[in-house]
This record gives sequence, structure tokens and C-alpha cells, in this order.
Amino acid sequence: MSMGAYLRRYWQLYALIALPLAYFIIFKYGPMYGIQIAFKDFNFFQGIGGSEWIGFEAFREVFGMRDFYITLRNTLMLNFLDLLVSFPAPLILAIMLYEMKVVWFKKLSQTILYIPHFISWVIIGGIVLQVFGTQSGMINNLLASFGIEAIPFLTDKYNWLVTYLIVGVWQSAGWGTIIYLAALTGINKELFEAAGIDGAGRFRKIWHITLPGLKPTIVVLLIMNLGHMVSIGFERPYIIGNMAVREFSDVLSTFVYRIGLESGQYTLATVVGLFQAVVGLIFVLGSNYISKKLTDESIL
Amino acid sequence: MSNGKQRSAKFRKPMKTALVLALASMTLLAACSSKSDKGADGGANGAGERVTLKVEVFDRGNSPAGATITDNYLTNYVQESFGNPNNIKVEYVPVPRSEEVEKLNVLMASGGNVPDIVFTYDPNTFHRYAKQGGLLDVGPLLDEHAPNLKAFLGEEVLQYGVYEGTQFAIPAKRSNVGKYASFIREDWLEKLGMPVPTTTDELYETLKAFKEKDPGETGGQVIPFGMTIASAQYEPLIWSFIKPTTEEEAFTLTQQLGSNDYPTLLPGFKDALQFMNKLYNEGLISKDFALDKDKKKMGEDIANGKIGFYSEDDVNPFYDNGSLDTLQTNIPGANLKPIDVFQNSEGKYAKPMYAPNGMYIMIPKSSDRAVEAIKYLEWMASEDHLFHMQNGVEGENYTLEGDIPVAIENPSEEALNRMFNSGDMAIISNGKQLGSMEKNLEARALQFPKPFYDQVQEAQRIANTDTFAPIVLDRPIEAQTKYGTTLLEKFNEMIVATTMAKPEQFESTYEKMLNDYMKSGGQAILDERTALYKELNG
Amino acid sequence: MREQTANRVFDTFNFILLLVCTLLCLAPFLHLLAISLSSSRPIISGEVSLWPVELTFEAYTKVFSDSSMIRSLGFTVMMTGVFTVLCMLFTIAIGYPLSKRLLKGRKTLMFIVVITMFFSGGIIPEYVLVRNLQLLDSMWALILPGLINPFYLIILVTFFSNIPDSLEESAEIDGSSHFRTLISIILPLSLPVIATLSLFYAVGRWNGFTDTLMYITSPELYPLQLKLYQLIQNNMITDLMQMEGTQMKLVVPESLKAASVMFATVPILIVYPWLQRYFVSGVMLGAVKG
Repeated sequence: MSMGAYLRRYWQLYALIALPLAYFIIFKYGPMYGIQIAFKDFNFFQGIGGSEWIGFEAFREVFGMRDFYITLRNTLMLNFLDLLVSFPAPLILAIMLYEMKVVWFKKLSQTILYIPHFISWVIIGGIVLQVFGTQSGMINNLLASFGIEAIPFLTDKYNWLVTYLIVGVWQSAGWGTIIYLAALTGINKELFEAAGIDGAGRFRKIWHITLPGLKPTIVVLLIMNLGHMVSIGFERPYIIGNMAVREFSDVLSTFVYRIGLESGQYTLATVVGLFQAVVGLIFVLGSNYISKKLTDESIL
Repeated sequence: MSNGKQRSAKFRKPMKTALVLALASMTLLAACSSKSDKGADGGANGAGERVTLKVEVFDRGNSPAGATITDNYLTNYVQESFGNPNNIKVEYVPVPRSEEVEKLNVLMASGGNVPDIVFTYDPNTFHRYAKQGGLLDVGPLLDEHAPNLKAFLGEEVLQYGVYEGTQFAIPAKRSNVGKYASFIREDWLEKLGMPVPTTTDELYETLKAFKEKDPGETGGQVIPFGMTIASAQYEPLIWSFIKPTTEEEAFTLTQQLGSNDYPTLLPGFKDALQFMNKLYNEGLISKDFALDKDKKKMGEDIANGKIGFYSEDDVNPFYDNGSLDTLQTNIPGANLKPIDVFQNSEGKYAKPMYAPNGMYIMIPKSSDRAVEAIKYLEWMASEDHLFHMQNGVEGENYTLEGDIPVAIENPSEEALNRMFNSGDMAIISNGKQLGSMEKNLEARALQFPKPFYDQVQEAQRIANTDTFAPIVLDRPIEAQTKYGTTLLEKFNEMIVATTMAKPEQFESTYEKMLNDYMKSGGQAILDERTALYKELNG
Repeated sequence: MREQTANRVFDTFNFILLLVCTLLCLAPFLHLLAISLSSSRPIISGEVSLWPVELTFEAYTKVFSDSSMIRSLGFTVMMTGVFTVLCMLFTIAIGYPLSKRLLKGRKTLMFIVVITMFFSGGIIPEYVLVRNLQLLDSMWALILPGLINPFYLIILVTFFSNIPDSLEESAEIDGSSHFRTLISIILPLSLPVIATLSLFYAVGRWNGFTDTLMYITSPELYPLQLKLYQLIQNNMITDLMQMEGTQMKLVVPESLKAASVMFATVPILIVYPWLQRYFVSGVMLGAVKG
């Protein structure tokens, strides 16, 4: 159809888009001129406009720092491990909840399971020390009463990785189930009955009905996660991490915090941020493309 | 379809229009008025025109009921006693204490709402602002308007606010420069019939006895030496291992990271780490010391009676409801004796002390109220204004004994709440100022529960024994500003890694960490300091 | 018969596993609750685990009698409410058109959205913008900048896309405008995801405080989490704070911290149970037939 006819038919959709688009432009694209800081020797008082242009010098500096590569490696490593462990956990938990027949328990546990998401990381840090500490942590005390030698959950770097993952799952799995539970409501219950008549057991039903029903959600979340492979939250590694395992716990976010915010070197911080943004975008577009080819689901 | 749906669809449209209008008008308003902030009360404070002075204040989130951080007894006192007579409205701009550097950076960078008086504890931040040209030269203003302030602070303190020859900051004066003391369980010594250790070797023997004989009957949970990753716990020990150096060596090899001096490159540092390694591997310090970032675990262990000995900020154990108080409640008969035990090769109990300055108070160059700002600081340094801000109301908060204010035993809630922010309001001073260090220490000791008075005085005395000052550089070292925070982390990591290494791996761990440290900026600092020394000394 | 036993076994295991997980998640909460109800001596000595020691309500009395906390609670609730409603309006407004494959410019728009997930100007330009819009130190500084979360938008678009086209087409044939289709068909079918995203927005706003640190200076506008943050951060000792010496030492009792955490967390915790009623299926079922 012609442009005129198209607009006459669909103008309402564009009317709906107008304000939200304005939001994006004002609040998201408006401040983007700040990316320039990565290319300038930022002087607080001359502002972004008045600061001197240095081109890629700051990039060269950051890419020359050994710490940058270590923290990058750690970021990728921790994110990858999280993908293996923390990504499936909410899914499994959601399915377990979905299959729970005792209704009052199902509702109660849903609420309790996401409580950890609300506890601030500072407090979680204290709890982690109490539970996993070597000298007098709860678990090690228990082991000691059986005569087993203490395990350094937090001070040995490989053990720490496991602890880090466990704490991550504990903190986020419950909350992560919510989106899956919402998606599960869209599955036609009659399908389960039909499958049951055909002789399918619980696991087969889950495999052939539940999971496929969740496919769109899983794929979208997976693409998002892959896109953020080079980004990582600040709090979990900072709070759970410590001096003894810094080799693994120092990540891009703590690196930026240290060189950028603590020493006011905004240029360097912006450089890392820009690096993460570009790489992240590439990852998202890449996984989106792959997903389209493989599963027919995609974002773009 | 029913009418309801039609109505809601109709409702959306005008609402959307309203939103668009709102956004548009806000943007328009912004464009027009962003320039006018500064013009509002421009010009000098003459001819009876009331002006506003904006002063930064730390917010710790502990305002008592009925008061806020911007409206409380002390802010009202300032307004009445300083603001009104000078036709100035004093406005306080709160900054969360734990974000002070970050928020200040944002305020300064965005150029619009900067208070007329800002401050920071971080010397690097001060240097950065000075270097980038954002601060006002307060020298002439001080000369003209602030004789009392200058006299109060003194040349030595003021010198810390000088950057490349210009007075860009007004440092606060510290009332007491002693930092650390060590503490030992007196009752344990008595039980074991052992004397108070006076050298590091004696301490070692004592620690071993604590571990083997467990005088505290902790059931094997005894931690002879309380340790964390905070400097107060390891500095007295480490510095005592540093060998005597020439002036040149001290100057070039010391590394100033953040606000303190660190001995990474000084001779003897490796020995200190070796000793820590020995202590750790023999189970004399907690296996989790590296995890205790905020001393909370150590605090628990002290209160539980597990710890036999530790170093700390001199008066920390003595607060009401603090470590010693709780310890004695939990274990009757327990007591902590302040001792000095880390003796260096010259027989001295070498420990660092604070520089004589506290906060760096600055006036942004963009401020129109510089004169008023200086007058405010001058007012604070005059007559009894500072005294009042630090001590409160006679008869309600304190009584005078001689000329030393003694805190009243059980002040009323109102009196107590009056002073909740006194430390943060009295910015020209860090600690109570009574004219001499002796009086200051006395007043400080009197702030603690009476039964601890003697111990507090002893701890203070120890904290001021054999101390050495941070090395003064007349200009900031670039490499230090740049790499300071990174190297600080690496320094701590080095301590942890070498301490926790297996004895046979100590050497390799030490080498590896030192190497990394040097590559990450340590070498750069060394080079710069060496060059500076040559320049200053020919 | 075999199937029944298999089902039973499955259900039992499921129950046990879930029970264990639930207890693990409940424990820290009980611990905090216990601390908030204990006296300082046992707390400092580390004696409190899951049950209060030396029970006292002192901390809660302090919290509830602190008018600034109460005011902050009220302000936070209102702000979160306004925020959530506005966010959902905006997100749905753009989410629905984006879910329609035939929309010209859809790919471009999605791309514009995805870019904002990665690229941003940084604190300083954002601060300058908020200041220039005269929003500093107002509730709107905490609402407007976060109106649409690209991540949530994408989730919404995905959900909308999975609603069968046949439903929309039949509505259009009946002469319904796009507005009306959205409101009377799409939204009712999407209640679970709308409830979910509302929850996400609400919780995000309730828990977030980094922007409040930058944009709010008036104590009357301190959201609950900011007050909480200050209380807790008070005792984080860094080298920088060491410079203060022992000048400021108004130590906040642990029990007060814990009680404040409870005060700031419980209100938002109960939102989800209340929203659970929207997580119903069945709305889909009937629709397909028609």
C-alpha cells in the first residue's frame, strides 16, 4: 500500500510511540555526548567541551595496563560460569514450583525464595563470612566437629569461585523464577492432559510441553545474558571478593571503580565503559543472529 | 464493546498531550533559567542585601528525631551567631559521607550547584582540583580577613594546603597526631605468670603460650594475635621491622599511596612479611584475617574473649558499649592493657603518626561568596565559637574542671542530640582544641567511660611515643596521584598473599607480587621521587 | 499404578528440594530479624543466629518513632507507585507497536532501544541533564530518567509477539482501533507479564539508591534505601575514613541497622504475594476458540 494509506491505517501505533521515543531521545541519547570524555583529557572545570582532545591516547593507556586484561579475563570467566550455573537455576526452580501440587506451600515458597534478592550486598557479605569463614565459619565448625579439616571456601581462589557461584544462585534464583512463572501461565493446560493420556511421564511432559512453552522467554533472556558478557555488576564481586582471591575477584567493574571513580580519572573509566558497550553490542547482535538461524526467535 | 473501554481510550489521549506539554515546557524553562542561578544574589554583600553562603556538610544518616542534617541546633547557632550579624543566610548542602569524593567530583564537574565551601579528606582530590584550576587562591583573603584563623592553624598546618606555591586549601588542624597502640589481655598474662612483653621476640613467645595453654579457656578457638586487613592492625608490626635509613633513602623509597606513607620499598619490609607468614602458618593469627575488611569479625572475637593481643587505633577499644566494655560484660575479670611492644632495631617503638592537618577545606574558583566563606571560617576560629560547637552548653553537656570540659555523665537526650554533628560542623578542627596537646589529650580521655580513664591515657601516651611523621613533599608526585589507589590494593594483596603462602613458597610469592607492584606504578613513583630529591638537594 | 507411584516419588522429591531451598533463603532473613530484636551485647559477641538473644524491641521503637523514617517510607511508597504506573504506561505504549511485525521502522526502533542498553553518557552528562531540566532535588529526578527499561521493554515485546495474530486480526475486522485492541484484548491477555514487569520496575525503584545519592540533597526526599545505606555504610572503614581519626564515632547499633533493614524491606516483599493473583492462566484458553 502507499505511504499515505499505510499511515492512515496505522497512525495510532506511531502516536503511541511518540512520547516513549521522546523519552529515549531526551534521557538516553541526550547525555550521550559524554562518551567524548573517552577521547579527551577531562578537566572538571573546563567541562567536556573545554577539555583537550587526546584521541585514542587513553585507549592505548588502558589497553596497556596489565590489570585491564586480568579483570577482563575474570569478568568473562565469572560471567561464563554464571551462565552455566545461575542461568538454568531459576528455570529449574520455576518448573519445580510449577509442578508443586501443594498450593499453599507453592505460594509461600515463591515469596520466600526471592527474599535474598532484597538483602543488600553489604549484609550478604557479613553473612557469607559467618557461613563460609575458615576460622570460625558455620560450615567449617560443623566439619570440625566431625574431625574434618577446615576448607578455605573464601581464601582459596578456586574454592572461592564455587562459593561465588553458590552465593549468586542463592541471591538471584528465586527472583529469576518470576518471569518464567509468568510465561508458564501461557501454556495450555489441556496439552498436559492430552500428553498424559498418551502415556507421557512427568519428565517427558516437562521436556515436550513445559520447556518448549518457555522457549521464547529462555531465548530472549539468553541473548541478553550473552550480550552482557563483558559487563558485570559491581557489588557481588566486590563484596564476596577479598584480598586473598583478588586474582580472580577483580573484575572490570571494580577496576573502573578503582581507576576511575576513586581517583577521579573519568577518561579512563569512560574508555572501559565504551569498550564494554561496543563489545556488548557486538555480542548481542551476534547472538541475536545465531538465535534467529537456530530457533527462529530473536529480538531484532 | 462497552463504554468503559471507549472512555479509557479517550482518557489516554489528553493525558498524553499533557505529558508532552509538560516535558516541552520543562525543557524550555531549563534553557531559559540555567544561566540565572549565579545571578540571583550576585554582587558583594554590601548595602544591607542578604546573601546566601552555601557550605558543604557530611551526612552520616544519623540525625536525631526533630532535626535534619541541614536544620539542627548547630546550624541554628551558626545562623544566629554568624549569619544574622553579617547579613548572610548560611545554607548547608549535605553530601553522604561514604560518597564524599564521588559526589564532590560530580558537583564540581557539573559546575552549577557547587557550594561555596567544600572539603575532602583525600589529598589527591585536592591536588587534582588545584591542578585543573578549579580552586580559589585563598592566600590574600586569609591575610585580609582571617587573622584568628591563621593564628589558630599555624604555618605548619597551612603549608599542607599549598599547591605549587599557592594556598589553594585551608587544612583543618588536628588536635592529636598519635595513631596506634597495642593491647594485650592482662588477665591472661597473670594467669600464665608471664611478664608484659616489651619486644617483638617476647611477644612471639607470649603468643605461643597463649595458643598452647589457652588461658582464656576458649576450647581451642583462641586467636593469639588479632589481625585484619585494615592498616591499624598491621602497621605497628610492619614499621618496627623497617631498618634505619638515610634521609635520602627515606625520601626516595617511601611510597605515599592515598593519604599515608607505605614501606613497600623500604629495607626490612620483606622481613616484616616473613614474620607475618610465620605467625599465620603457626596458627597465631586468624585464618580469615584477609576477609575482615571492616574489623567487624575481630571486634566480635575480642568481645568474645578469643583474642589475646592486637594493635588498633589508640582509643578504639574504649567506647561505651565498645570492645572492652562488652568483653568485660561477657568475661568478668578480663582486662586489656595498652602496651608498646614492636621494637625496631634501634630499640624504638617506631610507629607512624598523623600529619598535623585534617580536612582540606577549599573554595571553588567559581564561587561569588569567597569573602563570606573566609569570614565564616574566621568566625569559627574566634572567641569561643569553636569551643561551643565542639562541647555544647555548659551545665548540660559538660562542666568545666579547670579549663578542661568534662562530659556530663548522663546527659539529657536533648543535650546529647544537640551534638550529633559537631565533628562535621567544626570543620576547621579535627578533634577538640584546647590550646595544647596535653589538654587536648586530657579532654579526649574524658570523653570515655570513667573506669577506662587510665588505660585511655596510657594508650594515648603510647600512640605518641617514638612516632615519625609522614614525609612532606612540597609538590604532589604525579605517579602517586595516578597509581595510588591501584598500588594500595596491590600492597594489601601483597601482605595477604605472602602471609598466607606456604613457607616454602614465600620467596616466590614475594618476588611475584613485588614485581607486579613495581610494574603497576611502583617504579614510576620511585623514579619521580628520586628525581625530586635530586632537584631539591642538588 | 506405576505412573501413580512415579508421580508420587517425583512430587515428594520436588517438595523436599523446594523445602530445602526455601529454608536456605529464609535463614538470613530470620537472622536479620533476630538481630533486630536482640540487645547489643549478644550481637557484638556474635551470639545471635536465628533467634533473638536478650529480646528487646528497642530498635523497632526507635525506628517507628523516627518521623524521618516514617516520612521517608511514605515518600518512597508514593514515588514507587507513580514511577511504576508511568513506566508501565510508557513501556506498553511503545511495546505494543514494536511487537507488530508490519510496523515500518520497527527494526530501526528496536535498534535504537538496544543501543541504549549498552551506551550511556555517564554520570556527569546525566547529572547535567537532570540539572538543566530543573529536576534536581525533586521526586521527578528519580522517576523520569528511568521511565523505560530497555530490557523490560524487550521482554514485553516478546510476550506481545507471541499472542496469536488471529486474535488481533479478528478484532480489526470487527472495526476496533489499535488503541482499543490494545486495551481490550492485548492487555487482559498479558496480565501476568504486566504484573511481572510492574513488579520489576517497582522493586528496582524501591531498592535503587545510587541515583538518589547524586540527585537528592533535601533530607525530606531521602528514599528509604538511601537512609538505610547511610546507616549501614557508616561503619565501613576505608583508609580514607581512617584519616578522620577517632573524631566521629557515633556507632549505629547493629540492632538498629537490622530493624531499619526490616522496615525498608518488608513493604516491598509483600507486593508480590498481592500480585500473584494476576498470574493466572485460562485467559488464553478461551480466546483461541473464538
